[in-house]
Amino acid sequence: MEVFYLVLRNLLARPVRSLLTLLGVLIATASMVLFLSFGEGLRRALFQELSRVGPAIQVVPEGSEGLAFSAYPEITPTQVEALKRAAEALGAQAVIPTLFLARGGLDPQNSFFFQGLPPGVSPDLLYPGLRAKEGRLLPSKGGAVVGAKLAERTGLAVGSPLRLSPQVTLKVEGILEESGGLADNLIFAPLKALQMVLGTENVGAVLVALSPDKKAEEVARALERAVPGLKAQTTGEVMRFAERALRISDLVRFGISLVALAVGGLLVANTVMMSVYERTREFGVMRALGAKRGFIFRLVVLEALFLALLGGVGGLALGGVASQAINLYTQSEVGLALSAVTPRLSLFALLVALSLGLLAGLLPAHQASRIPVVEALGRV
Amino acid sequence: MLRAENLTKRYRQGEKEVVALEGFTYTFPRGATAIVGPSGSGKTTLLNLLAGLDLPTEGGVYLGEIPLHRLSEDERSEARLKHMGFVFQQWNLIPTLTAWENVAFPLLLAGWPPAKRRARALALLEGVGLSQRAHHLPNRLSGGEQQRVALARALALDPPILFADEPTGNLDAEAKEEMAALLFQAGKERTLILVTHDLELAARAERILHLKGGRLLREEVPRKVP
Ligand SMILES: Nc1ncnc2c1ncn2[C@@H]1O[C@H](COP(=O)(O)OP(=O)(O)OP(=O)(O)O)[C@@H](O)[C@H]1O
Ligand SMILES: [Mg+2]
Repeated sequence: MEVFYLVLRNLLARPVRSLLTLLGVLIATASMVLFLSFGEGLRRALFQELSRVGPAIQVVPEGSEGLAFSAYPEITPTQVEALKRAAEALGAQAVIPTLFLARGGLDPQNSFFFQGLPPGVSPDLLYPGLRAKEGRLLPSKGGAVVGAKLAERTGLAVGSPLRLSPQVTLKVEGILEESGGLADNLIFAPLKALQMVLGTENVGAVLVALSPDKKAEEVARALERAVPGLKAQTTGEVMRFAERALRISDLVRFGISLVALAVGGLLVANTVMMSVYERTREFGVMRALGAKRGFIFRLVVLEALFLALLGGVGGLALGGVASQAINLYTQSEVGLALSAVTPRLSLFALLVALSLGLLAGLLPAHQASRIPVVEALGRV
Repeated sequence: MLRAENLTKRYRQGEKEVVALEGFTYTFPRGATAIVGPSGSGKTTLLNLLAGLDLPTEGGVYLGEIPLHRLSEDERSEARLKHMGFVFQQWNLIPTLTAWENVAFPLLLAGWPPAKRRARALALLEGVGLSQRAHHLPNRLSGGEQQRVALARALALDPPILFADEPTGNLDAEAKEEMAALLFQAGKERTLILVTHDLELAARAERILHLKGGRLLREEVPRKVP
């Protein structure tokens, strides 16, 4: 395109200004990409995790839908019994009460996530394919089995003691093979021991495994009818729920990055406006020579679009690099790639940058193309 | 052929009305026509109207049979591109483009392919003695060289009408002479309309129109110095 050549010449004639504007857009786009990449990373991690979970239904107290990792155990033994009866009647393969317990601090070096298992339930029932690297897979009454990454991080080995409270100390009986999933960062322990630590008989969630021929949604609804006050969610429902939560957090993070984007947009608008003002006479000459108004309009809009596109591409690249760096860190610390620059995020970022350029360019372009030729020629 | 009929331009300035040009009727034949007159007599106004850069309050401009003043903004742009060339007093050139790129600009507007544009522009620059300056930006050129580049550009699409508003106004004697020679040379085959304060320059035209207070005072045919 011929006009593009003129745009390029004009931007190159003022290299410092063009570069500064470019940097503004670049940083704005990079920060947006980075912000949004967390949502994409979580989404990806979650999807991988859920597609690996064995039991098809997760029963949690009503009002704590989603993932019940941190909720205080609220399901009473009576409810668990009722669930067991109902599930058996519906032809469930297994009913597994469980609970999660976090110990330790923010420092990943010594934070521990426990998942409680009832007697006789082996971890590979919840996370199919799980195998022991050392020791046993199924912990005994006073034992625990440690996920691969957690063991690596904390230095736990077979025989290490795990003091959960003054009364409860478990012994590490097995280290698991790395599976690439959530189990790598968990310690499996007897449900009873964890309940004792919390001083409760309750559990946090009940997992229900079905044979493949059963319709998970139907069974879930029947379970809810049978035991009021509980919510039975299928993997798909958890996914949908999580997707909704992620979408809200996406919006929040996009909102934050809008500030940077607005600044980037204003920079482009300012550059283009200044350029238009300085070039009024030039536009007058072009018009006198026979350029139509649309030609001037395109010249100005393209300038803004080009700045925005270049800044957008640069910002995307920078955001991608930053996202990789963050993943390198989180992967070694918590074993999860938290950030992902997916194709759809890249496309979104470029579209946002381009619309920014368009928005910033339209008004100056309109003004530049509407100024009467005689007036423009009179301006030096 | 360019014809002005009862051309009138009035400007409103608050309560007052300024008459910049009134009842100008004239048919511009082939060859150079100079327009002279004191400052504020309406010379630039007339040129702007003739070129369709501005619209008259009354009257009209006819480019052959085409009523220029009735055309739309974009149609007038197109008419200028096809039929007219311009040289202004100064700041003629697009500052970010080199000499040859400036000359090639009308060709770009007319949709010529790049290779042809370049060849034509370089040939035109040679015609005004600036082959050596083809790749210089305007701010690297002297005032006289800039005006010659502007003239080369005005001739790019070989238009039948050439407008010049004080083309030598900012030049020293030598540069002025060079420019004048080239300008009248180009004006021989065309309708050249030259606005100037410089009576010596005007005397080299075939006709001189005297303007005063926005009116055409008289037409003069200067005696040719042998
Ligand atoms: N945009 C405008 N608004 C109001 N009055 C104007 C405008 N343009 C020109 N005029 C007036 O019209 C008259 C003619 O102006 P014009 O520029 O045509 O004169 P000129 O002969 O070219 O003068 P000069 O020799 O100084 O260039 C002047 O009185 C001027 O003040
Ligand atoms: Mg004037």
